[in-house]
Amino acid sequence: MTILQRNNISIDGSGERTIVFAHGFGCDQNMWRFVEPSFRGQFRTVLFDHVGAGRSDHSAYNPRKYATLGGYAADVVEIGRELGLKDAVFVGHSVSAMIGALAQIEAPELFSDLVMVGPSPRYIDDADYTGGFSEAQIEELLASLADNHMGWSAAMAPAIMGNLEKPELSEELTNSFCRTDPEIAKQFARATFTSDNRADLRNVTARTLILQCRDDIIAAEEVGEYVHREVAGSQIVYLDASGHCPNLSAPQEVINAMDAFV
Amino acid sequence: MSDQLVPEDLEDLYENAPCGYLSLSPKGRIVKFNGTFCRWTGLRPEDLLEKRLRDLLNVSGAIFYETHFAPLLRMQGFFDEVALDIIKADGELLPVLANAAEKRTEAGDVLFTRVTVFRAHERRRYERELVNAQETERAARLQLEKANAALQADAELREQFIAVLGHDLRNPLAAVDAGLGQLLKRGFSERTPTILQLMQRSVSRMSGLIENILDLARTQHGDGMVLHIEHGRPLEPTLTQVIDEQQAAWPEREFSVDIRIDHNPPVDHVRLAQLVSNLLGNAVTHGAQDLPIRIQAAGNQEILEVSVSNGGKPIPAEMIGELFKPFRRGSVKSNAKGLGLGLYIANQIAEAHCGRIDVMSDATETRFTFSMSTIDRSSNNTRDYDD
Repeated sequence: MTILQRNNISIDGSGERTIVFAHGFGCDQNMWRFVEPSFRGQFRTVLFDHVGAGRSDHSAYNPRKYATLGGYAADVVEIGRELGLKDAVFVGHSVSAMIGALAQIEAPELFSDLVMVGPSPRYIDDADYTGGFSEAQIEELLASLADNHMGWSAAMAPAIMGNLEKPELSEELTNSFCRTDPEIAKQFARATFTSDNRADLRNVTARTLILQCRDDIIAAEEVGEYVHREVAGSQIVYLDASGHCPNLSAPQEVINAMDAFV
Repeated sequence: MSDQLVPEDLEDLYENAPCGYLSLSPKGRIVKFNGTFCRWTGLRPEDLLEKRLRDLLNVSGAIFYETHFAPLLRMQGFFDEVALDIIKADGELLPVLANAAEKRTEAGDVLFTRVTVFRAHERRRYERELVNAQETERAARLQLEKANAALQADAELREQFIAVLGHDLRNPLAAVDAGLGQLLKRGFSERTPTILQLMQRSVSRMSGLIENILDLARTQHGDGMVLHIEHGRPLEPTLTQVIDEQQAAWPEREFSVDIRIDHNPPVDHVRLAQLVSNLLGNAVTHGAQDLPIRIQAAGNQEILEVSVSNGGKPIPAEMIGELFKPFRRGSVKSNAKGLGLGLYIANQIAEAHCGRIDVMSDATETRFTFSMSTIDRSSNNTRDYDD
């Protein structure tokens, strides 16, 4: 099992530089299907699934390694080295924004540019810091995943197995999209929502662009602004899109902001 | 009665359908809803208009919705049978199953999203029961496995125990038998006192073994060790008696005794005698034959210390931690040296007195020291009885 198979890597486009797109908690690389094609003309584009998500090799899932975001960041570094990246662009959605930051700190030669879409270095409020959630709320989320995973998966299965009403989506896509092993989902949720990577932000050396949505309950504006303050020289762009997934709900806005940056 | 067809009232069908309806704007705001939804949730039109679907969910539901179902909806244009918990006006949760479908223009732009919700109390309860049953079953299985392993370990221990016990009782019994044989054959002679002494030694060894076995049975059955604490009874005679017994049993061994007890703590005298006896037995068995066994006892208002030391080979460092486990001897050896219970019982007695036994072993000597606090917390009228 190679790294490329482990992370279900797809490579497209052509160009001197490479853009790596990373999906967040929930779903898989198809999160980027409305954005990534626009960059194929000028860039080599790389999509991948985190281990445990999408069509990655689930047998490679190691609960200890992936108990923290560091395990996912180590995979990103491995992917970057495998592909011989140098001064590439890393685009991370949601928790992958921080995973990308950790990977960039570990191997600065791989990524010169970082695009963080809806980043949060810590989801739980702390003293002077507003993450958006209380510890009790995050515990409730983790408990609901633990207690009710059958409810989730029972609810998920018919949706992703349902008849195609959107012909441009291939069957394999609808079958895998958003499907997560409940056990892995639970642990990924724990790794994500209990993380605290605030101290790492100062060590990011890449040119950094933060894309901030309106009305994002998962990564609110003040969280994005915190990241903006902590990452030296970073830019922040407020999207008109609302919710947590502008790459799906407002792909053109994301494309425009990224275009202007890279 | 004839089956007369009355035209269906579509407006009423929407408003009072046996399911809840919500319509969302392209930006995901609630723009229309039916009466059934309001009745089920107790939410008023002003609670719903311009809200997002996720605003009606609890935090964990909202996170899951945003990270899983909202993307699914955008990607597929629909989702079916998604389990959600809607917060009702009274704060209670309404478990529902929701279907959603986007209505798009020919160009693919979303016009609105239609959401249909069905109450799912029973189904959710059933699912929870299934999950609970699964968890209960798993917990029960784990417990069973654990109990099984414990039983197996117990059975092995017992088997080993019986083998060792048989072995250890056979030697002194053989000695008694031989002694009786001689006495019967020769009648009274000048050797008789020596033979009787040897027989007594064997008998006392056997009775010590039986004593320890009974204690083991008690402590292993979780009853713990019951103490009969006596306040103010002088400790020195108790210690002297134990030492004299051992000296009588092993006349060729040298016992050097140093007892300085200024204060008599509340202890169980029978148990303490057993503790010291076990330590002495251990020293006799494992110590060098030609070196003295030293007993030191010191007691004051704060602490009582009784140590037993012997010369000879030091105890290997890796064995020290194993000393107080029952049956540490591991397997039946030809040179029986006891069940390996003596130190275990001694330690149990020490712990029952809130005390401890420390071990020090080097080339010069091996010393076991029993220590306990003598500050009497249980009584206030007996501490100075001995003065």
